[in-house]
Amino acid sequence: MADQERILTANIGKKASSDIDSAMQGGAYEALIKALTRMTPEQVLNEVKTSNLKGRGGAGFPAGLKWSFLPKEKNKIKYLVCNADESEPGTFKDRLLIENDPHRIIEGIIIAAYATNANAGFIYIRGEMVLGAKILEKAISQAYERHFLGKNIMGSGLDFDLYLVRGAGAYICGEETALMNSIEGKRGEPRIKPPFPAGYGVYGKPSNINNVETYANIPTIILKGGNLYANLGSKDTPGTRLFGLSGHIKNPGIYELTSDVTLRELIYNYGGGILGDKKLKAVIPGGSSVPVLTVNEIDVSMDAEGLKKVGSMPGSGGVIVMNETVCMVKALLNLIKFYEHESCGQCTPCREGTHFLRLIIEDIENGNGKEGDCEKILAICKNIMGRTICPLGDAAAMPCESFVKKFRDEFEYHIKEKRCLPETSKMTTIFSV
Amino acid sequence: MALVLIDGKEIVVNQNETLLKAALRENIYIPYYCYHPALSIVGQCRMCLVKVEGAPKLLTACTTYVSELPKEKKIDGKYDMKVFTKTEEVKEAQRGILEFLLLNHPLDCPICDQAGECQLQIYSYEYGKPRSEFRFEKLHAPKRVDLGEHIVYDAERCIKCTRCIRFCNEITKTGELTLVERGVHTYVDVFEGKKLNNPYSICTVDICPVGALTFKEFRFKERVWFLQATNSVCPECSRNCSIRVDTYKGEIMRIVPRFNPYVNNHFICDYGRLITERIKNNELREMPSVKEKDILKPIIEKEFYKMLLSKITRKYKLKDVLVILSGRMTNEEVEAYKVLSLLLFGEVLGESLYITGDKDEILIKEEKRPNYFGEKLLDVKFTKENENVLSLIKDKKLVISIREDIFKGMNEDQIRKALSSLDAFVVMDAFFTETAKMSDFYIPLANWFEMEGTTFNFDGHLQKISKCVSPPKGRKPFYDVVSTIMNILTEMETKDFETDKEKEIESVKKVLESFKDRDVMKGGFLTWFKEVKNAIPQIKNVSLKDIVPLGFSIKGSKDGNS
Repeated sequence: MADQERILTANIGKKASSDIDSAMQGGAYEALIKALTRMTPEQVLNEVKTSNLKGRGGAGFPAGLKWSFLPKEKNKIKYLVCNADESEPGTFKDRLLIENDPHRIIEGIIIAAYATNANAGFIYIRGEMVLGAKILEKAISQAYERHFLGKNIMGSGLDFDLYLVRGAGAYICGEETALMNSIEGKRGEPRIKPPFPAGYGVYGKPSNINNVETYANIPTIILKGGNLYANLGSKDTPGTRLFGLSGHIKNPGIYELTSDVTLRELIYNYGGGILGDKKLKAVIPGGSSVPVLTVNEIDVSMDAEGLKKVGSMPGSGGVIVMNETVCMVKALLNLIKFYEHESCGQCTPCREGTHFLRLIIEDIENGNGKEGDCEKILAICKNIMGRTICPLGDAAAMPCESFVKKFRDEFEYHIKEKRCLPETSKMTTIFSV
Repeated sequence: MALVLIDGKEIVVNQNETLLKAALRENIYIPYYCYHPALSIVGQCRMCLVKVEGAPKLLTACTTYVSELPKEKKIDGKYDMKVFTKTEEVKEAQRGILEFLLLNHPLDCPICDQAGECQLQIYSYEYGKPRSEFRFEKLHAPKRVDLGEHIVYDAERCIKCTRCIRFCNEITKTGELTLVERGVHTYVDVFEGKKLNNPYSICTVDICPVGALTFKEFRFKERVWFLQATNSVCPECSRNCSIRVDTYKGEIMRIVPRFNPYVNNHFICDYGRLITERIKNNELREMPSVKEKDILKPIIEKEFYKMLLSKITRKYKLKDVLVILSGRMTNEEVEAYKVLSLLLFGEVLGESLYITGDKDEILIKEEKRPNYFGEKLLDVKFTKENENVLSLIKDKKLVISIREDIFKGMNEDQIRKALSSLDAFVVMDAFFTETAKMSDFYIPLANWFEMEGTTFNFDGHLQKISKCVSPPKGRKPFYDVVSTIMNILTEMETKDFETDKEKEIESVKKVLESFKDRDVMKGGFLTWFKEVKNAIPQIKNVSLKDIVPLGFSIKGSKDGNS
C-alpha cells in the first residue's frame, strides 16, 4: 500500500480553497477545458467507462455505465443530479469536499453534462449543511461569472445551468428517487422502480444521479486518463476513496486512500489505533447501514470484493470503530432508533418493522428482554429485507441481523441477566471527534 | 403478449399489464391492499409479493410487468416467466406483512363498521398468523377525525395504502388528502384549509380496504353481514350508475357502487348515493286519495278507481288533456302508459319533461332523468329544456302527472290559479309531494327501489332495476296500476256504463280487443318487459339474462365512455 495519495483532497488545506481563484491555481477547471476543447462527449463518456469509476454513494454502481443509460437524443431534456444529502451515520466525507473544494464537484458535474448532453443540474444538499450550502452557492455563482456555467459554456455550444436545492433534513431524501420527489416539492418518498431515473427522473425527465465524491473524481479521470485511474489501487474499486474514521479511534477524520487498504491498516496505521489502547470489539466498515464486523474480520481490503468475504460492503466509506467497552445492544438501539425515525412510512415492512425492532431492542437494553427475542429480531429482519420499495428497509435490517448474529452471546446475556456485560457497563463515550 | 406459468397454470399477460392484473383476470388470487384497478400503482403495501423464478428476491405482482423473451431464452422453451404464489417463502412473506400491518392496529372489529367486509380480517383469516408476538403498547393516533361533511377517519385502523389520496388526486383531481408525519406515525389528513367535500368523497370509503374511512350516513347503522344486497341502478341522472342496494328488514341502509365498465366503472357520486337520506325525508301516503272539500282523503282502491274513471273517461277533446310523463318512468311503465292512454283517450298523449342540471366530466350527466333516452326510443315527446309547467297547463281541462313533482319550488298562488280552471288534476307519484297535495286524485306508486324495470342510460345501455324492498300494499308499480284500471274498466263495461254511455263502451271495447293478443291483463314486470321488447326493435333478441348484472348496449361499442 503506497502512502496516502491525494487526488480528491489535493486542494484541501490550501488557503481559501473554496474560492475559484485559489481553486484554479490548484488546477480546477483544467479538465473541463480539456474536455470541452479537445474531446467529444463520446470520448469523455468512454474515458469514464474505461476508468471503471464506481459510485461512491454506497451501492458502488459503475458511473460510466449509469451515464450511458441516459437517452442519447440531443433534443430530449435531461437532468443531472448531485446527491449531497450525506446523512448516513458515520459518514462525513462529502461535507469535507463541499466545504473545502466545491469547484471540483461543480467541474465534475459540468463534464458529466458535456458527456451526457444534459440541460440542467441540481445539487441536492442536506438541509443541516448550512455552511456547505452557502459555500456551494457562492462557488456556483463564481462558476457562472467565469462562464463555466450558463449558455454556450466557454464557446463550446454547451448550455448548462446548475441549481442548488436544500433538503429539509430527511435521511430518506438521500435515496435517489425520494431525492427527486423532494426536488419537485413532494413528500420525500422513494418511487417504485422501474422506471429508473435514467428514464423517468426529476420532473419526469431522464436523469442521472451521482454522489458528490463520484463527481469529484471526474476531473482527475479526464486529466490523467481512464486507464491510469483504472489501475490505481484496487481492481474492483479503482481510484482513491475518502474513508471517514470515527468512534473509538485515536486519530479520527477523513483519509484519502486507495481501496486496497485493509481495514486493519486503516484502523491501526492511519487511525493510530484504538482510543485508550483498549481492545477492538467491532467495526462498521461503510456507514451504519452495512453489516458489522468483529475483531477477527478486519484483515480484508476495503473494496467490495474484500468486504464481501466477511459479509459486508464498502458502503459510503464511513468506518465506525467500537472498542471493548461498547455495549452492542445499546449501540444497536442507537442505530435502530435512527432508522425508525427516518423511515418514510410508505411501505409496510420498513414502517412497522423498524418500529417493532426498536421496541424489542429497547426492551432487551432496559432489562425487559424475553427469551426468544433474538429469534424474533432475526425473523423481523428477514421479513423486512428485500421486501421494501427502497434500500432503507435493508439498511435497517442488515445491522440488526449482523449485530444479533455476531454478538448473540451478549444479547442473550442481556436478556438473561437483565444488564450489560461487566466490561461494557462503563461505556467510553466520545465527546469530540 | 407474454406467456406466464403461474402456479402451474398458463396465462397470457398483455403488454402494459401487470402480473397482478393478469392473475386476477384469470382467477388466480393474489392478496393486495394498495392496488386498485382505477388508480395508479404504488407498490406500497407489499402484500402481493410473489416468487418469480430467477429473481433474487420476492417481487410485488402489482408492479411487475412481463416482457417477451427471445426464443432461445424462453423458460422450458415456451414461457416468459414462471411465477409461484403459494410457496412457503411467499406464505411466510404474507404472514410477515400481515403481522406488521396488525402491530398497531386497534383490533376493534366488534365496533368497526368495516367488520365483515374488511380486507384485514379476510386476509388475516386466510394468510395471517394465529397469534401476534407484539407485546408492546400499540401506538395511538388520531381517531374520529372529520375529514369532510360525510367522511370520518380513524388513523389507528389505517394501513396507509393511500388509495383515498390517489382517488382524490387522480379521479376527482381535487387533491384534498395527503399523508402527514413520517414512519410509523404516518397518517392521512386533509391539507390545511381544505375539507374532503368533493362530489365523490364517499367513494374513498368504498375503496378503503379497512375501516379507516367510514361515512356518517351509514356509520354504526348496521352490521354488514345482516345486509341484503340487491343489484340495481341509480335514478339520479341519465348515467344510470350500476349500484348495489344494501337493505335490512325492508329498509335501505346504504348504496354502494357496482363495477360496470360500460357505465360507471367503479364509482358513483355522493348525490346519487345519498338518495337514501332524501327518500327518508319524503312524505308518503299509502292509499289512493280523492279530494273532497279541498281535502285529499284516502279511500279504498276499488271505489277510488271508479270515481277516477268516471271522471276522466268523460269525453275530453284531446287538446284539453295534458299528460306529463317523466324520465323517471322505466321502459315498462312507458309501455304500460301507452296502453292506458289508448284506452282512455284512443290515442297516445303526453310529453315528458326535459329536465337538465349540473354536470361534470366524471359521471354526473346533464340530463337528470334516468330513462330519458329510453323514452326517446319509445317515441315519447319531450318538452323544451326545463319548460315552465304552468304555461303547459293553460287552457287544459284534464292534467295527469306521472312520477314528476311538477310544481316543485313554484309560487303557490300561481299554481292554484292555473289549477282552478281544471276539471281534474291527477297525480301518480311515489311520494306525497307538493304537487300531489294539490291534486284531485292521487295514486301512490312504488318508488324506484320498490319495483322492477329496465332503463336505457344516455349512452343506450340497457340495465335492469330491481325490487330492493317491498312497497306497502297500497303503493304499486305503475304497470300494476294500469292492470287494475283495466280490470275495473272491464267490470264497469257491464255495470255502471250501461245506461248512458254506450258509445264510449264501444270504443273501450274496441281498444281492449286490440290488446287481446298482448296479454296485458295479467300485469307484472315480466309481461311488461315482453311488451317493451315488442316496442323497441333493437332489443328484440335481448333476454333478461343479458341485462343482468352489467347491462346491454344497443348503440355503438360496448366500451361506454367513462
